[in-house]
Amino acid sequence: MAPKETPKMKQRPIVRLGILIISHSVVVSVICCISGVVALLLLPILAKNTYISENALMPGSANPMLSDQDVGEANKLVNALLDLKSEPISSGRVSTLVAEFISDLGAEVGYHKFYPESNQFHPLHFFSLPDSGSLQENVNCSMYGINVIGIARAPQGDGKEAVVLVTPYNSENADLSDALSIGLTYSVFSLLTQVTWLAKDIIWLVADSRYGEYSSVSAWLRDYQRPVFGASLILDSDTCDGGSRPYDLNNFMTCGKLIDNFKRAGTMAAALVVKVTEKSEPFVDTLNLYAEASNGQMPNLDLINIVNYLAVHRQGLHVKVKKLIPLLNAKWLNVLADILETVGVIFRRLNPQWKFGIPAAEYIDGTATLASSLYYQALGIPTGPHGAFRDYQVDAVTLEFSPYSLRKGRHKEFLLQGSRLIEGVIRSVNNLLEKFHQSFFLYLLTSPGRFVSVGVYMIPFILLVAPLPVMAASLYMNIFDFGPNTETGQLAVSPRSVTWLDAAKMVLIVHFWGAIVSLLPYCICQMDFSTPTMNLAIWSMLSALCFLLLCLVLGLHFNQTEKAKWVVLKSATLSAVFIGLCLMSVVNFATAEIGALLLVPLCLMIHPLKINPNMGTLVNFSRMALNFILLSMAFPPVSFFLLQGAVYGFHGIDIGDFWMWVESLWAWNSATYLYITMIHLPCWVLCLHILLHAR
Amino acid sequence: MKETLKVHFQFSPMAIRILLLSLCLSNLYASSSAVASSSQTATHTNNWAVLVCTSRFWFNYRHMANTLSLYRTVKRLGIPDERIILMLADDMACNARNKYPAQVFNNENHRLNLYGDNVEVDYRGYEVTVENFLRVLTGRHETAVPRSKRLLSDEGSHILLYMTGHGGEEFLKFQDSEELQSHDLADAVKQMKEKGRFKELLIMVDTCQAATLFSQLHSPGVLAIGSSLKGENSYSHHLDSDVGVSVVDRFTFYTLAFFERLNMYDNASLNSLFSSYNPSLLMSTAYYRTDLFPRRLEQVPVTNFFGSVMETIHTDRPYRARKRKESQDRIRMPLKEAVQDNQQRRLSDPEIEVRRVQAPEDSIGRTWNSLQNKMKIFEYPETFVYYGLVMMLPLLAVSTWLYS
Repeated sequence: MAPKETPKMKQRPIVRLGILIISHSVVVSVICCISGVVALLLLPILAKNTYISENALMPGSANPMLSDQDVGEANKLVNALLDLKSEPISSGRVSTLVAEFISDLGAEVGYHKFYPESNQFHPLHFFSLPDSGSLQENVNCSMYGINVIGIARAPQGDGKEAVVLVTPYNSENADLSDALSIGLTYSVFSLLTQVTWLAKDIIWLVADSRYGEYSSVSAWLRDYQRPVFGASLILDSDTCDGGSRPYDLNNFMTCGKLIDNFKRAGTMAAALVVKVTEKSEPFVDTLNLYAEASNGQMPNLDLINIVNYLAVHRQGLHVKVKKLIPLLNAKWLNVLADILETVGVIFRRLNPQWKFGIPAAEYIDGTATLASSLYYQALGIPTGPHGAFRDYQVDAVTLEFSPYSLRKGRHKEFLLQGSRLIEGVIRSVNNLLEKFHQSFFLYLLTSPGRFVSVGVYMIPFILLVAPLPVMAASLYMNIFDFGPNTETGQLAVSPRSVTWLDAAKMVLIVHFWGAIVSLLPYCICQMDFSTPTMNLAIWSMLSALCFLLLCLVLGLHFNQTEKAKWVVLKSATLSAVFIGLCLMSVVNFATAEIGALLLVPLCLMIHPLKINPNMGTLVNFSRMALNFILLSMAFPPVSFFLLQGAVYGFHGIDIGDFWMWVESLWAWNSATYLYITMIHLPCWVLCLHILLHAR
Repeated sequence: MKETLKVHFQFSPMAIRILLLSLCLSNLYASSSAVASSSQTATHTNNWAVLVCTSRFWFNYRHMANTLSLYRTVKRLGIPDERIILMLADDMACNARNKYPAQVFNNENHRLNLYGDNVEVDYRGYEVTVENFLRVLTGRHETAVPRSKRLLSDEGSHILLYMTGHGGEEFLKFQDSEELQSHDLADAVKQMKEKGRFKELLIMVDTCQAATLFSQLHSPGVLAIGSSLKGENSYSHHLDSDVGVSVVDRFTFYTLAFFERLNMYDNASLNSLFSSYNPSLLMSTAYYRTDLFPRRLEQVPVTNFFGSVMETIHTDRPYRARKRKESQDRIRMPLKEAVQDNQQRRLSDPEIEVRRVQAPEDSIGRTWNSLQNKMKIFEYPETFVYYGLVMMLPLLAVSTWLYS
């Protein structure tokens, strides 16, 4: 008779693997964090060359049709605009002049009157678009702008789609470059009114940028996308009736007519914002590309690709994207670049197939561009009027020409070159059959022709946040010994769950406080204090007061004595940071990435300020010092000033700058603001709490 | 009549001898066995062409231009419109992006508008589907489909099947939504063979990895040519920077270049067409599958597929008394087959009737024909006259001798 064996319950491999990782949590954390940072630094090397993914685009397959005749006409307009500048009252004249030129081409002309909206903090519509109903509160009737819209209909098209050209024009402060930007777009537009190959209508918006480039474009887009029947009429006639209108616009701009005149074409396929600046690189005609829209959204990479391809290979322009210039001269980066180049050379010597490593100069350039790309995406503030289009899921990019040829007075040459580029881009977009969808939407640029796709730049972030749950689990499991005897399990569980509940309560209350802190600037703005420094002081005072009140009301005790308490609290904090960062990575990846760089080492390292007698003094001291450094670095104002100092130098830093920066964040409805106040700050406070934990 | 004579004149004497021999043989065959329905023995009756462009959208302009160019070529070489099934998405000529509205060009010189007069598109736009394509090949149509959209070929037909579009390993994409796989094509061809819908079939495919599309073919009488081997791409020939698209594919371009030099009466063989493809110009290797094809390519004129030139035999009298004999022969056939034959006859063109009438059956006709053909051996009429004059001399001598 075989003895009855009680089969030993063998755990599944994945569970055993999990337990293995958790039991070596410290090693795993160190490896993951370091490799996360290393992977981030390797991104410029891992960048791929851009390629045009959509077959239908076919950029550059057609010869430009734009001729000297179009440029000549455009030059006439430029001269007329420059003549207007000398006249005293020119604000209304510019719109009529441009409108006359457009209607002479045989295109439709429309006017759009708008009231610029001052950027206000709308705590309740954070991610939603401001609707036209909320307009009436902050409208200043004496301030209004007039956009001019010209529409060239596609002769054989179905009129369902449109491509938008935007030229911001500030009539009060216009110079040659502004007039040239109008001339540039005009020459393209005049060609497009004649061609037979248009499949999409062309809308040309001459945005009145007296009150900001962005606000005029977004006001036009809001009215374009959300036709209001009646309401806008009431707004015009009731709130702003009898307002002084310029004499020369009166004949065709009565209120009712203005509504009727709102010209529309089809769904927007893409938008190009055209600007010209005086400042230029020596000896080369440069084209600067701006693509970042709100909350780190980017236009489809294909749009940037076709602009870059046509500018470089057809028009011979030098294309640039923004980069953090100070990084170019940073010592540490130079050293790192040299090391990576050497490593690359060694790799190639080992196996010529391995294409690892790039020249040091290229690496530095790539890193500076990548850092700028990451920073501007993380800010969540659009870098130009193109950002307004992204809110309506329209791919848009700003082309800023800075021509060297202007200095030599060769206007026509520049006009021909620039407008041929725009023509090429429009012809390519015109070939598109659907929306841009083939190429990437989530990417970071390391140069105009190289990019890091989402699949690659996720890796550093995942490596950074991976230790958080591992460490949390390991801390939680190590509080009590897991005895093999399950009989006392019932008894052992209850105190543990109580400590766990306390910690969770603490984390929740602190996050609730974070939500209150995020709403405080709204009240401060209503009170209207003068200086930013004052505002900042009041904000921090109110925040501290709120925290104390909450602690009193909800009864948080600071005098916990058990060792288990802070460990459980750290575990809960780690989980909260993990959840917060992962949530943020969905909303704005770049913010989450930078946040993870600051928060993760702090949260993993944090330990109460208490001398552990079991360890050496040196170890204790170094741990304390490290905790202090990390904690102070992760405090949002400090990290802001450190970043500012690193980039622009430490002299001339004002405390009020931080308030200004935060104000710009909430004014642009950036999710980064929410991240800072509702995730970053509470987690920092929790870490501070653990550091000051007494026992 | 004149034209048919001309055709004979252009045949080389050797070819005429072969032709005569084959004629005699086929006549022998027909008289010896009543069952002559096997396609191997059926004579070439007519030519059909199925031209398919499987892609749509503006950037595939070249595929439509390919198909239209071939359409124009086969029409020029004599296949009438009613025997061409043209399947096109047809969204180029009137595309809003077309700089030249209602015109399609296959060359940047814009000399030839392919979308001129008389382009009869049988299957247009979203009708170009795998289902419709297979229905056309196999002849399984809904009853409502008009005759003009059917492939009404018979057991003596030569069919040219030309397809272009985007393909891959053993498939051809239809308008970005469906695929035709190599075994679908092979199956359709097999059905066609079973149904006696063709005598010889030339499949010409201009896609990437076109050769893979033929891998499943097993039916005899099929000749296949593709623009590229497995793993190779087929490239476009050139870009029209005025229209802004590529206008023709390389394989089709060089095929057309070959045909532009030919007219309806030329006698170039398929072999010369196939050897005209230069891999360095095509940037791919043209592939032909000849193992299922019974004849030698050197002996097959291209007009057997790309034109409609048949072995027409001149007879002096269209109606003859002995015709009845043949119909009596027919009656002796089993009833079932006779019915089938009748059905076939009703479906097929009146052309067949003409062929039957024209075919030489009686011995007088045969001798007359052979005499006529023998006379043609004399290369020039002058020599014939000289021979005649020389013959006259002894005649003159005899007559003078008789009188004297």
